[in-house]
Amino acid sequence: MNLRNLSIERKLTLLAMLTSTLAVVLSSASFLIYDLVTFRSILSQDLATEAQIVAYNSAAAMAFNDEAAATVQLSALTAKQDLVAAVLYKSDGTVFAHYYRAGSPKPELPAPVEGREARVASGHIEVFNDVSLRGERLGTLFLQSDMQRWNTRARQYAGILVIFVLLSGLLAWFVSSRMQRLVSRPILDLEQAMRIVSVDKNYGVRAVKTTSDETGRLIDGFNTMLAEIQHRDKALQRANNDLKTRTQELEDEIVHRKRTQEELLKAKDAAEEASRAKSAFLANMSHELRTPLNAIIGYSEILEEETRDSGPAENVRDLRRIQGAGKHLLSLINDVLDLSKIEAGKMALHLETFEVESLLEEMITTLQPAAERNANRLQLRVHGDIGSMHADITKVRQILFNLLSNACKFTENGTVTLDAERQPGSEDRLYFRVTDTGIGMTPQQQRNLFQYFAQADSSTARKYGGTGLGLAISQRFTHMMRGDIHVTSHSGQGSTFTLELPAKVAPEAAEPSSELPASPPVVETLSDLPARTTVLVIDDDVSVRDLMSRFLEKLDYRVISAPSGLEGLRLAREIQPDIITLDVVMPQMNGWDVLDQLKSDPALASIPVIMITVVDHEALGLERGASNYLVKPIDRDRLAEALDRHRRPDEDSMALALSGDR
Amino acid sequence: MKAFALRLAVFALMMAAAVDVRAQNLGSTESSEHLIKAGYVYNFAKLVEWPAWATPKGQPIVIGVLGNDDFAAVLSHAVDGKKVDDRVFVVKRLKSRDPLKDCGCRILFVAASESARTDEIIQFQNASSVLTIAEAPDFAKRGGIIALTLGEDSKIRFAINVDAAAQASLTISSRLLTLATIVHTAR
Repeated sequence: MNLRNLSIERKLTLLAMLTSTLAVVLSSASFLIYDLVTFRSILSQDLATEAQIVAYNSAAAMAFNDEAAATVQLSALTAKQDLVAAVLYKSDGTVFAHYYRAGSPKPELPAPVEGREARVASGHIEVFNDVSLRGERLGTLFLQSDMQRWNTRARQYAGILVIFVLLSGLLAWFVSSRMQRLVSRPILDLEQAMRIVSVDKNYGVRAVKTTSDETGRLIDGFNTMLAEIQHRDKALQRANNDLKTRTQELEDEIVHRKRTQEELLKAKDAAEEASRAKSAFLANMSHELRTPLNAIIGYSEILEEETRDSGPAENVRDLRRIQGAGKHLLSLINDVLDLSKIEAGKMALHLETFEVESLLEEMITTLQPAAERNANRLQLRVHGDIGSMHADITKVRQILFNLLSNACKFTENGTVTLDAERQPGSEDRLYFRVTDTGIGMTPQQQRNLFQYFAQADSSTARKYGGTGLGLAISQRFTHMMRGDIHVTSHSGQGSTFTLELPAKVAPEAAEPSSELPASPPVVETLSDLPARTTVLVIDDDVSVRDLMSRFLEKLDYRVISAPSGLEGLRLAREIQPDIITLDVVMPQMNGWDVLDQLKSDPALASIPVIMITVVDHEALGLERGASNYLVKPIDRDRLAEALDRHRRPDEDSMALALSGDR
Repeated sequence: MKAFALRLAVFALMMAAAVDVRAQNLGSTESSEHLIKAGYVYNFAKLVEWPAWATPKGQPIVIGVLGNDDFAAVLSHAVDGKKVDDRVFVVKRLKSRDPLKDCGCRILFVAASESARTDEIIQFQNASSVLTIAEAPDFAKRGGIIALTLGEDSKIRFAINVDAAAQASLTISSRLLTLATIVHTAR
């Protein structure tokens, strides 16, 4: 049986019992040993004393050689039960008288020893004592004891000790088996409670505390732990329930969101569809609107010129108003078209490298008339070496044009300055600053500046004109080129617009070309073929052909027109014109295909082609070999300038003379 | 007689250190008897105490022998060189006519031949605290202190008159008394 696996009750009982018994045994044994040792020395002393007396008393008998008297003396020792032998030796060592205990075997007698001596040998005490009379030694007395009393006492004491130990052990067992409950009872109770908790999982059970010792504290700790577990159990249960509810809610939410998402996707598809429809509509509308506008502006210009020479003055004024309104409407349509393209994400960048300074000079030249209209001074300040930039030149031009024309528009009798600066650094950037001394803006106005149709106020539009889209478009363009545009202004003190652009604009995806519905071809040939610089006009719009013919003839060009791409190609091969103007958007065969065929025909490849279209694809056009790219409605000054470059050399003088006439 | 002779021989051996062996030159039973008696006298001297006045320190113990010069010679040999309490023995031979008073004896041995002077001896004994030892068997009964007699078993015995000893201011050891036949003075 392993002592360690005993129950705690038995352990405690055993502990107390063994400890007390051990203590009793040890103390009793030490007492016994002490007593027996002491008793033996007492016995030894007693015997020595006895020997002295007997020696004294038997001295006279020995002196008178009275053996009988000596024997009588020794016989007195019979009373001493443990005395085995008493012997009187004469001085020569022979036995004079002796006494042996009755019933005991005759002991072996030792040789006499002189003087006084007591010794313990083989369970016997032996004593020698001189027998002498008045200082004269007569012999020796020898006494031998078998320590009978000592043995008896030892036996008795041992017996008592055994009984005592047994009794005290019994008592210790009795007492400890009762006392151990003080310790074991609370522990057993605690164990019972723990078993109930672990078997039944009943955390409501509490151990009963009966003492306030360590066990009591243990029970307190146990109860506290149980309370804590119970508390956590409940909290866990609550949290679990909460979680279930939440999960359910989440599932509902997910189902709901999925449904919403589907609806949203449908809505998005619908919206995209609508947007596409809107974009197509806008593009078509712009095209459809611009075509008649071209006719209105073109004819009114021709009419105005003709009327200026001969007609009444008021007609000229009216015609100019028609022209102004038409041009305004045209710019409005152009802006709306740009915006719709931007919004539809179809506005693409056509990047090329160009000299900045020449562009700026061109801008100043272009805007000089507008500046003069309000008696403003327009000046250009280029700081340092501005060099070239890689960007969409059309858009840069449009932005600067917008800023400068705005400045001129809102300034009277003042100065409009265009500052340009290059700031090379980690990012090579160009800064264009347009400063005027005009009416300026309030902070409120500045905030709304880049919104659609935002002008300083509604009265501004009436007074200064403009669509209110120019700055918004400029800002969009600037952002497309990773640039920035911002303004500082004080009402009444002028404004400063700063355009910031990277010197090298990162390329973007090319814009897909758009198709337009076909219209029946119209072929019209101008038969007048003078030996001047010949221009072949290819356009499906009869009014454009007519306008171009009239305009170009005024500039002393021989004009031949073709109503379709195929006809244009045929005529080009036939007459080998000096310059070709080509419309892009045409039925059956569009301008791009015509351009490709022209450039792939060795006979025709060298003929410069000026693309004239409502679709702004200058980069694409130039890439495919077009010499110039003009956007409808045609700015006659730009057209004249473009044509002039390709005029026959032998006619240059004449053209110069002509332009000089104007 | 043979047994007696053997015992004597044994006794003689025991006393060899104390008694001169020249006594054997006497060669007779008488001389053996003298030798034993001399031993007795010596032993008596050890077991009797005198009053303080009678035994000044350093003074020898004088033993007077009355009526037997042979014995005196044997005794003289026997006690030669012996001491009791650092006092030596001196043996004086006393003639029948010699006055007892002046002998200075502490022990007086009276031979059987001097029994006639018993009364005088007893008087002297009482007056001078003298231990009297006589060979007359009735000596103790008559008022003497010790009577030495030869018993039927040829063994020398002695009788002590404790009254007489007390009268003579002598203290006799109980150890001696246990060995003796105690008698009282006849009235």
